[in-house]
Formats: sequence, structure tokens, C-alpha cells
Amino acid sequence: MKHILSQHLGKRSSLIPFLQDIQKEFGYLSTKAIDELSRSTDISANEIYGVATFYTQFRFSPPGEHTVRVCQGTACHVRRGRQILNEVEQQLKIKAGQTTEDRKFDLERVACLGCCALAPVVVVDDKVHARMTAKKISSVLSQYKGRQTRKK
Amino acid sequence: MKLTIDRKAVTAKKDETVLQCALRHDISIPHLCTHSHLSPFGACRLCVVEIEDMPGYPTSCTTPAAEAMVVRTDTAALQNLRRNILALMMLEHPSACLICGRRDLCEEYRPVAEKAGRTTGCHTCNNKNVCEVRTLAEELGFCDLPIPPSYHHRPVDRSNPFIDRDLNLCILCGRCVRICKHQHGTATIDFVDRSSKTHISQAFDRSLLDAGCRFCGSCVDVCPTGTLADRYAKWYPKPDTITKSTCIFCEQACALKLEANKGELVTARAVNEDIPICVLGRFAIPEFLNSTDRLRMPYVRVGKVLRETQWKEALKTTAAKLKEFIGDGFMLVCDTTSTLEDRFVFKKFTRKVMKSKNYIEIEPNYRGISLSSLPKGTKAVLLTGKFVPSSQLNGLELLIVQDCFGTNVSQRADVVLPAAIFAEVNGTILDGSGQKRPLHKACDPPGQAKAEWWIISKLAQAMGAKGFAYRSAGAISKELGISKAKLWVKRDQAPEAAQDLERRRTFFRGHRICEKVFALRELPIRDSSVPSRAVSKRTDGFQILEKYEIAPNVHEIVIQAPNVAKKAQPGQFVIVMVDEKSERVPFTLCDWDAEKGTITLIVLEVGQSSRKLVLLEAGDRIDHMVGPLGIPLEIKQYGTVVLTGGCYGIGAILRIAAALREAGNHVIVIVEGRSHYKHYYKEKLETVCDELIQTTIDGSLGIRGHAVDVVGQKLKDGEKIDCVVAVGCLFMMMLTTRETKPYGVKTLVALNPIMLDGTGMCGACRVTVDKEMKFACVDGPFFDAHLVDWDELRDRRVAYSAEEIHLVGRTESVAPYPGHGDNCRCLR
Ligand code: SF4
Ligand code: SF4
Ligand code: SF4
Ligand code: FES
Ligand code: FES
Repeated sequence: MKHILSQHLGKRSSLIPFLQDIQKEFGYLSTKAIDELSRSTDISANEIYGVATFYTQFRFSPPGEHTVRVCQGTACHVRRGRQILNEVEQQLKIKAGQTTEDRKFDLERVACLGCCALAPVVVVDDKVHARMTAKKISSVLSQYKGRQTRKK
Repeated sequence: MKLTIDRKAVTAKKDETVLQCALRHDISIPHLCTHSHLSPFGACRLCVVEIEDMPGYPTSCTTPAAEAMVVRTDTAALQNLRRNILALMMLEHPSACLICGRRDLCEEYRPVAEKAGRTTGCHTCNNKNVCEVRTLAEELGFCDLPIPPSYHHRPVDRSNPFIDRDLNLCILCGRCVRICKHQHGTATIDFVDRSSKTHISQAFDRSLLDAGCRFCGSCVDVCPTGTLADRYAKWYPKPDTITKSTCIFCEQACALKLEANKGELVTARAVNEDIPICVLGRFAIPEFLNSTDRLRMPYVRVGKVLRETQWKEALKTTAAKLKEFIGDGFMLVCDTTSTLEDRFVFKKFTRKVMKSKNYIEIEPNYRGISLSSLPKGTKAVLLTGKFVPSSQLNGLELLIVQDCFGTNVSQRADVVLPAAIFAEVNGTILDGSGQKRPLHKACDPPGQAKAEWWIISKLAQAMGAKGFAYRSAGAISKELGISKAKLWVKRDQAPEAAQDLERRRTFFRGHRICEKVFALRELPIRDSSVPSRAVSKRTDGFQILEKYEIAPNVHEIVIQAPNVAKKAQPGQFVIVMVDEKSERVPFTLCDWDAEKGTITLIVLEVGQSSRKLVLLEAGDRIDHMVGPLGIPLEIKQYGTVVLTGGCYGIGAILRIAAALREAGNHVIVIVEGRSHYKHYYKEKLETVCDELIQTTIDGSLGIRGHAVDVVGQKLKDGEKIDCVVAVGCLFMMMLTTRETKPYGVKTLVALNPIMLDGTGMCGACRVTVDKEMKFACVDGPFFDAHLVDWDELRDRRVAYSAEEIHLVGRTESVAPYPGHGDNCRCLR
């Protein structure tokens, strides 16, 4: 943290690069990190938080082990992408944007992953699972349940 | 710079925007997000104008005025555009009252906003009297909404001291965020989240206090809606006087704008809105001065007791007693929070009349503490505050206390004289730099309290002294040679306490301020380990089994009460006492289950007692309940019966409808709500009637209008209606009565006056029906609507609203700061 602060301080640059570096380092923006940043920049934690929550890229709780992205782009949408998302939400017992209690999975909805031909798609970490159906979901998820691959 | 606005030639100053220039020339342009103390923001877009050679509709608040500009502010296209912008804004704001066709009648019957927990329309909004949105809607002509409005169902935040926040009213104009930044350099509140979830909050949704708020109240003052409110002042009617005076809590002597209603102080704000004042100046003064602990009458000791008396007798007794102590055995102690005029009289009295050199004037320390000790040989003392620990008073022969609050010292006094202080008096004080600052009387003192110079002058006169015949504080200033003092408006810096809460004063003349202004106990002298308040759970009483807020501000409460459930009949009610000290309030029995032994009430939060009830949760218990009370509705074959219900009445007609239908009637149920989200119980009602009609004021669900409009239409169409039963607020029942009268249709209303015992003894629930006095609790609740004296009923219902306004700000569970007990850290 100190190292990140010293890199940016003095430069009256905007907050965003600061926040990006913190997130890269720690995986998320903790209360501690934001408070520390506030102290060294004289911008209140409230303002920093306000800025950070404006962007989807920042998160405020430790990330899960695996990120599940369900595409809701046009192509996936017409191929019932919504149903896929519902199914994943039900199985993981969380809503899009949340993390499971055991911190195994993050669930995100994304607009388009650029592989519309494979619609509907679900991407877990970096692996694309194409032409998903509600039925296939549990088998896809179970592939990851035991595995311990810390993503970067 | 010369330019033209609406064909009028005007000159703009340097750096002026088009909006500023227009306003300065009395050309009005609607605007909302902009504020005279803030830099332009350009968020609301209401201030759009047309400017020649500029494309589209620029916002005048962000466009700099320029040479030879030609501006139009009032074309039909602009007005239309603004109306649409306002309508879009109102899609996420409770806006039904703005388009209601019965606004005028409603104003007449409900002049003061109802003290609702959540605001779902102007008539339950604390901002009603001063609302900028309402004014805009009137100016622009508010049109129908393009789609049904939405309600965010956000919790109302009342967890902070002094400031209530109902984000369901927020229009995201950003004024609060910008003023906070302006006042303090960096903001406590900011926009959090994006798109439709954007709202005003603090980092990680911390409380205002934890986020570093100084409670300067600036955000409350600039908010154009009812979102941010001063908890103490919010339900007072519009102030009738505004007086400028000076704060005497500390030597900073901030200039204050004091607003009073009928002689009672309601709000204090900074005169110079550009510089914040501290929490005491902004929030503490009205509650401090209006405290129930104030001394209101003179008291004279008779044997062991202090007896209340009149001034004449008090002065006579005091004068006689004092005569025995002329000389240095007498001492007068005051501090510098008394005005120069007061102190002049004190000193003159001590020297000339009492012939004593012991006149002591204390300068309070940085916490406001003024302490003195008594020199040996002191026999008689006159104290103008709690300046001496009560343990030191043992050897005294005469103790006179002239103070604003009763204390353990005044308890021991021989004479107690009630003093008017602060905003209740005229005079002059000195600020920290030795400048004279004026006090102007802004409100009435409590009871018979009098200005301090008055009391001592009268005392001197009663002792036969000459030279004390002052008629006003001004006469004393003249004798003192005080020229006109000026308010400290133009200062360069905010007082320290406005930037750091911990630097505020905690005492005033020996009285702990937080004992009179409860919410101060929540503020630091900071300590991170504030334990949560231990709530003792009761094990007797009636247990609440379920509780839901089924519509905004409407709570469904299921209570275990087997004996009530066994006997209940349609139309009856219960009287509930939430705790041993609360008011007794009647609630209609909405549903019951004799087998399970439960009853269901629908409770709206509209005042202190209902708030206490809805703050309870499932599992909690209420202290006391009596019922079922009242005469049940006569269930017989009427023919076609129309039941109308609004607010709690929607739930209250459930069992009535069921019973009437079972008795073979054709039952039509018409329920009204301001907007679609105010409706509930649709499925339940459908099972107990032959026809269910829902109405909304804004037309977002069912038929547009009030329930009574449907009744009227049916009557006009010649439909056969044999009986109408209306249950709801007074206004709604009165409206129904008006509508059915010309048709001579039998109409019954369930009256809801204030009740006490509910057994016909106290007379609180008196109503006049057919020129006869009836008791709603035993003769009612149902009465023939066409015979009721509605005006009397309306007046009786608001009989205690002033008292209630006082109380409602205090029922919140404000956790006391643990240090304010015996070894209160305010003392440090
Ligand atoms: S802020 Fe309150 S008074 Fe103003 S329009 Fe909204 S509900 Fe009505
Ligand atoms: S009360 Fe003052 S410090 Fe607190 S949020 Fe409002 S403007 Fe900011
Ligand atoms: S709380 Fe009030 S001042 Fe702040 S953004 Fe909302 S409406 Fe505007
Ligand atoms: S006042 Fe100009 S955009 Fe709001
Ligand atoms: S409530 Fe006392 S007589 Fe009715």
C-alpha cells in the first residue's frame, strides 16, 4: 500500500489509477485501503468511495476463487441467456454482482464476450463454455467446486 | 457586456452566467440544482434557454453571459421541455399530490403536513411549506407522468443525530454534496453507485458520524426536497418570524437567523450561509430553549418545600430576606454569557444596594464550564447559574438562584427566579476578540421567565433603591454608552467547532447541554467502542408475532391476543399502549383468528405513538391492550353495499366486507391510494367482495381519482346503492359524505377521534352527531355520516399537534454516549 501511495503522490492525477493499482494489488478496495488513501490525499473516504462505486471495475469485498461471467449480449439474449443467468443465480444462491458465502464464486453479467457464434456462453475464469443450457450448468460449476486455482 | 434576454436589454457583470444575469434583472428562469452559494452543476436541466446561434437548448446556469447574446427564456418549446424534464424527475419521487384534483380542499382540511415516517406525498412531507419542487410544478404546470412512477422502498435513515434522511424523495440535484464540499473542503456525503442505484451516502454506508460529518446542517438547508430534514424542526408549521441575533454558546458569537412559530423557537441557522456554524448553533438552540426542564415560575421556600408563586410575592420575599445580608457577606456570581446590560445591573446592585465588593464574573473555559468557589464568610449568595458545586453550599444562610434550568442547586435555594436567556432577550455581548455583538429577542421566554436585568432591577426597587427604573435593555445600553453593535456576519473562517465536533462547548452556565439536547449524547468526544444500548426485553404484555411494512408507511402487525380474537366482531377496535408511558391509541381490528388467538392491525406511522409501535419488531411485546371495543357494524341485508377504504382503511374493511357478503349483500369494495405502490391486500379483498375497484390519484393503477369519484360516478349513472361504508382518514370520509348526501344514500363512517379510556368515561372522543353529543368509543365507531359535525371533528383531532411535534423528535432510540454519566467526559 505504501508503495502504491508513494508512486502516485505528488502527481495531482485523478483517483482512478490509484484505485486501479490498489485493486490490482489486493484484489479489491478494502475500507482500510480507502481510509489510508483518504489520509494521504486529503480527499474524504466518502468522495473516494463515491468515485469508485461509479465504475463497475471496482469491487469492495475480497473476490471469489472463480469468476463466472454470464453473457447477456444480444446474441445470447435471443438464445435465452437470461434463463441461463437465472439458473446460475439459483444454483449459486447469489445474484449477479455478488460472491458466494464460501468465496468460491463471483457472479457477473456481461454485455458481450465477443463469441456470439457460441451463444449462449458462460465464461468461468478464462474458459469459455459454449452453447449452454440450463441443464449443463450444474456440471460446469461442479468442475470448479473442488479445484483450488487462485486466479489472478 | 450588453445582451438581450427576452427582448430586454441587460448588462452582465464579469463572470456572470446567463441565469445569474437574468435573475438579477428579475427575469425568472426555473432552476433547481443551482444554488446561490454553489458553483453551477448543470444536472437538472430545468434552466434551459434558447440562445441565437447556439444549437439546441443550453443550460443557462452553466453558460457564461457574452456580449451581444440574444436569449429567450419563455418560448412554448422551452416550457414544454421543462415540463417534460420535471415529469421525468417526478418518476422517482412521490408526486401524486402534485397532480391531485382536490389539492385545494386537501390544503384546507390538512393545513399542516402529517408526521409520517415515510413520505409518500406532499401532504405527509416535512418540506411541504417551503418546497421548491412544488413551486416549480405550480409554475410550469405539472402534467401527467408518461409511465407509472416508481418508489425505491429505501429505508428511512433516522440513525444519525439531528438529521433524518428519506432517500425516496431525493432528486439527485447534488446540492447537498456540493455544499458539504464547499463548507468543509472535502465531502462527508457523495453520490454512491451508478445509474438507477445512484444515491446519496457515505463511504461503505457508514453513519454520518463515522464518516466525519460535523452536523453543520448546511446540506439540510440547501436540499430543495424533503429528503434531508432537521429532525427537531421538521414538523413545525412555517415560521412566522425571522430574527437575526447572536449565538452565546461560545465566544465565537456566530450570527444566527432564528425562526420562530407563535413565539416558539423552531430553527437556528447561520446568517452567512457560506460559512458553516457548529452543531450547537445549528441544531441545539431550539431544543435547549424549549426544554421541559426550563424554570417557568418563581418559587419561594416555605419550610421544606419550594412553593410556586407570582413575581410580586417572590420579589417582596427576596427583598426582605436580602436586607438582612447587606455588606460583604453577600455575593453575586454570574458568567459572561449574561449580557453586558445584565452584568451592569448585577454589579450596580451588588455594589450600590448590597454594599458588597463580592461581585464575581466568571469567564467560561473552552468547554463552557464556569466554576467558582465561595470566599470564607459568605452568608448570602445570588447565583445566575450552577456555578458552585452543591457541596459548597452547606454553610450558607441565604441562597437565591436566578437561572434558566432547575438543578440540584436550585432545589436547595430559598428563592428560585426563572430567567429568560439567549434568543429570548435583547442586549449586547462581547465576542472572543472583544467586539460588541447584539442579541435580538426572537422568541418568548417560557412561562413567566424574565430577562435578568429586569429581575435584578425589580429586586433593587423592591429594596427601595433608586436608579433602577429601567424600562428596557436598550435604556441600560444607553446608560452604559454602548453604541450599536453589529452581527458577526463577515468572517473569514468558520469557528473551530464547525470543523471539529470535539471542540464544541459542552456546558452553559453550569448546565450540561447534552442533558437538554439529547442527540448531543451521540456525538463524540470520540470513542470507537460505543457499546450498543442494552434493551431490556419484556416478557409480559402482548407479543408481536409478525410485522411487515406492506406498503410505504403502512405496517401490518399480527399480535397474540387470544381474548380479543375470541370476541372480535367486524368494525370493532382495540386501544393499544405501547409502553407504560405511552398514549392510548385506538386501532381498528383488521383481521383476527379466534383459533390461533391472533389479531391483525394495520398501523400507519403518523405520530409519536404509532411510531413507537412500528419501531417494534416481531418477537417484541406491547405493554397493554384493551378490546374489542365499540359497537360492531350492524350486519344485515342492505342490498348493494359499497365499502370505500383508504390508507389503513384498505385493511380495515376486510372483515366488514366478508361479513356483509355472507349476510347476502352485493358488496362492492373501492380502495384508493396515492399511487400504485400504496395499494395492498388486493388478493385478500378479492375473496371477500363481488367487485373490487382500485383507484390512484396519479392514475398509475386502476381508475384515476379518489374512491369517492367512483361512488359519485355510480350514483350519477343511476346504479342502485343501498348503503355506503367509508373507512379511512377524516378527509376521505368527509369527501364521501359530501358526495352521497345529494342522493340521500345511507352512509356510515368509522370515526377516529382522539381516545383515552375507551369506555365512555373521559369524553376525549366526543363527537357531535345530529346536534347530540356522542362518545365515539362506546356509541361508535360507526355513525350516520350525514349527521356528523365534520368541522368540529377536524379541530378536535389536531388539538394536541403542538405537543406531539415536540415529542416526535425524541422517540428515536438515540443511544446515549456512555461517557455522559457520572464521570462525563464533557468535563475534561
Ligand atoms: S419534496 Fe415533499 S413537498 Fe416537495 S414535492 Fe416532494 S413530496 Fe411534495
Ligand atoms: S451536516 Fe455539514 S458536514 Fe454533515 S453532511 Fe451535511 S454539510 Fe456535510
Ligand atoms: S438529498 Fe436533497 S440536496 Fe441532496 S441530492 Fe437529494 S434532493 Fe438534492
Ligand atoms: S439549474 Fe441549471 S441545470 Fe439545474
Ligand atoms: S375514549 Fe374516553 S370516553 Fe371515549
